[in-house]
Amino acid sequence: MSEEALEAVGDYRYGFHDPENATIRFDKGLSEQVVRDISALKDEPQWMTDMRVKAYRHFEERAMPDWGNCNLLESINFENVTYFLRSSDQTEKNWDDVPDDIKNTFDRLGIPEAEQKWLGGVTAQYESEAVYHSIREDLEEQGVIFLDMDTGLKTHPELVKKFFGTVVPHSDNKFSALNTAVWSGGSFIYVPKGVHVEMPVQAYFRINAKNMGQFERTLIIADEGSSIHYVEGCTAPSYSTDSLHSAVVELIAMEGAKIRYSTVQNWSNNVYNLVTKRGVAHKNATVEWVDGNIGSKLTMKYPSVLLKGEGAHAEVISVAYAGDGQHQDAGAKVHHLAPNTTSNILSKSISKNGGRSSYRGMLQVMPKATGCRSKVVCDALILDDASRSDTYPTMEIGNATADLEHEASVSKVSSDQLFYLMSRGFTEEEAMGLIVNGFFEPFTRELPMEYAVELNKLLELEMEGSIG
Amino acid sequence: MSYQQMAVPPRSAHLWRYTPWPRVHPTKVEEVPQADGIQFSIEGQDANAFQRASDSDEIARVFLDELGGTSYRLDIKGNGQVIHVRARASGHIAVGHLNLNVKGDVTVLLHLTGEAGWCGLHITGNVNPNGNLGYGFINELDANTKLLRCEDWLVERDASLESATLSVGGFNCKSDLRTTLNGTGSSIRQAITAHGQGARHDDHHIEIHHLHGHTDSDLVTNAACSGSSHFVATGLLTIAEGADGSDAGQVFRNLLLSEKARAEAIPELEVLADDVSAAHGAASAPIDPSQLHYLMSRGLSREESESMIVNGFLIDAFSNLKNEALTEQVRTRLTVHLECELKR
Repeated sequence: MSEEALEAVGDYRYGFHDPENATIRFDKGLSEQVVRDISALKDEPQWMTDMRVKAYRHFEERAMPDWGNCNLLESINFENVTYFLRSSDQTEKNWDDVPDDIKNTFDRLGIPEAEQKWLGGVTAQYESEAVYHSIREDLEEQGVIFLDMDTGLKTHPELVKKFFGTVVPHSDNKFSALNTAVWSGGSFIYVPKGVHVEMPVQAYFRINAKNMGQFERTLIIADEGSSIHYVEGCTAPSYSTDSLHSAVVELIAMEGAKIRYSTVQNWSNNVYNLVTKRGVAHKNATVEWVDGNIGSKLTMKYPSVLLKGEGAHAEVISVAYAGDGQHQDAGAKVHHLAPNTTSNILSKSISKNGGRSSYRGMLQVMPKATGCRSKVVCDALILDDASRSDTYPTMEIGNATADLEHEASVSKVSSDQLFYLMSRGFTEEEAMGLIVNGFFEPFTRELPMEYAVELNKLLELEMEGSIG
Repeated sequence: MSYQQMAVPPRSAHLWRYTPWPRVHPTKVEEVPQADGIQFSIEGQDANAFQRASDSDEIARVFLDELGGTSYRLDIKGNGQVIHVRARASGHIAVGHLNLNVKGDVTVLLHLTGEAGWCGLHITGNVNPNGNLGYGFINELDANTKLLRCEDWLVERDASLESATLSVGGFNCKSDLRTTLNGTGSSIRQAITAHGQGARHDDHHIEIHHLHGHTDSDLVTNAACSGSSHFVATGLLTIAEGADGSDAGQVFRNLLLSEKARAEAIPELEVLADDVSAAHGAASAPIDPSQLHYLMSRGLSREESESMIVNGFLIDAFSNLKNEALTEQVRTRLTVHLECELKR
């Protein structure tokens, strides 16, 4: 392991934080006035203000989920969260114009370098709003819209109004209601008919302040026959008090379109990560979620796909690592609404040092969805006797022609595999690291190369000290 | 807490998600109605009246307890014998309780029939250290009967339980089957087959708890659904902290035979120990057309071919069981049931 990696052992790699230089910071706590103030500050159209207020009222009425890690959910103090914090007065198109302290953060995270090398566009969100945004000229010329959500609402209000909240309505769950009420930032993407965005576009979300709530809202629309790969990364400093991240992501893949959404979530272990992600796939369209959960205190995230058109396909690959004090409650949901739709779910999880990982899934075939096929595989590794792994899959089959399979296994690292590698000269720790990386390989091979390398490095750090 | 002090369980509790408690209850949900006793006829074993002392706070068990009905206890010193228990449910509401205390090797076959409007059955049992119990439950209730069945088994050190369920009777059935592996070396092999016809609704909840290390469990559930029938299987397999060396497997398979048939499978796992092997699987599919084609090309009608495939599929659930007296009985009853269905 490199010296740099060793230095970071025992500490969260992205745990540094910069002094807060907020231009606008709301007081802690949530009320209808806070919701209206956010909307007014952003100079939003009336329909959006109304939607926010309606969602806020729903949030107030809606009870906390009575499933999952109820104890941790109940410990969230919504009155101790800052719901809006503006760090920069505008979204810049040039890194040089981004305020120095924020730019330093993203430099340390390697974002500008990545953009130059292999990205089609970048949005960098710091606290509540985007501070930097750019897209390659050739994509812009082809009519691809890649904006932060606030700018998207200002410049393309009709398009946003048509699709916003159609996949994840505010009444879907308590946290989607919260997000709809106080959303800020996120990405808005529209890919015109037949346009294939060859290079991935990336959004990077960073929480810097204490007790901050980040509520970004992302909407991606891929028109007929188009395709796009969107990559998202998340980090936050390590504080002793908790932060809340509650995003909503809506994907709409029109006929024959393909959307791939890749996430490597590496929030620090004081962040509640309660996210609603859902996509709709129309006729012959494909929606893919590639979802990695390494950080956070509690993650509850179940990327979903509604297979609405005949021949649509869903693919969900998800990995979770639960270390000390972490509960990764992740999974996938696929609803087969139309005939001849197919889906594939692969979930891998590792629990270590008292961590808990849970797979929670739903596979539903509606009565009219004939000829559907689906396969679900979830594998879990438990690395010590203080850790825990759960699997809660649900299959609801309403059509006799459906062909569905589900398989899951929980085990520890095989001593045969360890022995094999150690007999070839690896230390026990190196052997364990190799096995774990191999266990996650079906996930890492779906990531862009740079992300895969980074993920392997992260896992190596997390695995440090796992022997003895 | 008495039944009437208890809150109706919400549908978010997955035990009651697909068959909510008000649908299971025989009358109005707040009532504890008058009930008759199930008539038990027990061959080859003395039975004693049994004073129930349930300490459960689970609503179905509390309800069955308060309904009363007949209660028998069987203290069995096993020497390889087979005990037949015939249970007949008659009248508007019929309820029965059976408690088995098993030492040595024994097979108990419980055959439930009758035309009661509603039938409630609570079976509790203890398989003592080194004991081996083969237990068969055959539900051939009248097609209009509602059934609530609860079972609670405690399997002690180095003891084994082989449990086979054949569920083909009743109209609306809810079974809640729980086993605790309470000693090192204890094991359970459990096989459940269900055949849904017409609008039959059959919901099985199966819990297996590994409390100690080196305990084994194996659960296979095969269901074939025709007409507009609905089969539900929810499983909860837990391996407690420190129960290292445990080996657990669950498989839920559904064969859907008609457009309107539905099936739900929720095999849940909660594992708190690291040196274990736990796996589950679920599959659902229609009849393989190539199998149908093969049989029909040999002169069988479509109905005969389907029945043969269904028979083979359902019988396969019992293939892991070792107790021959048990498997022979459930296989025979299944074949008879499918032949009767074919002749209708």
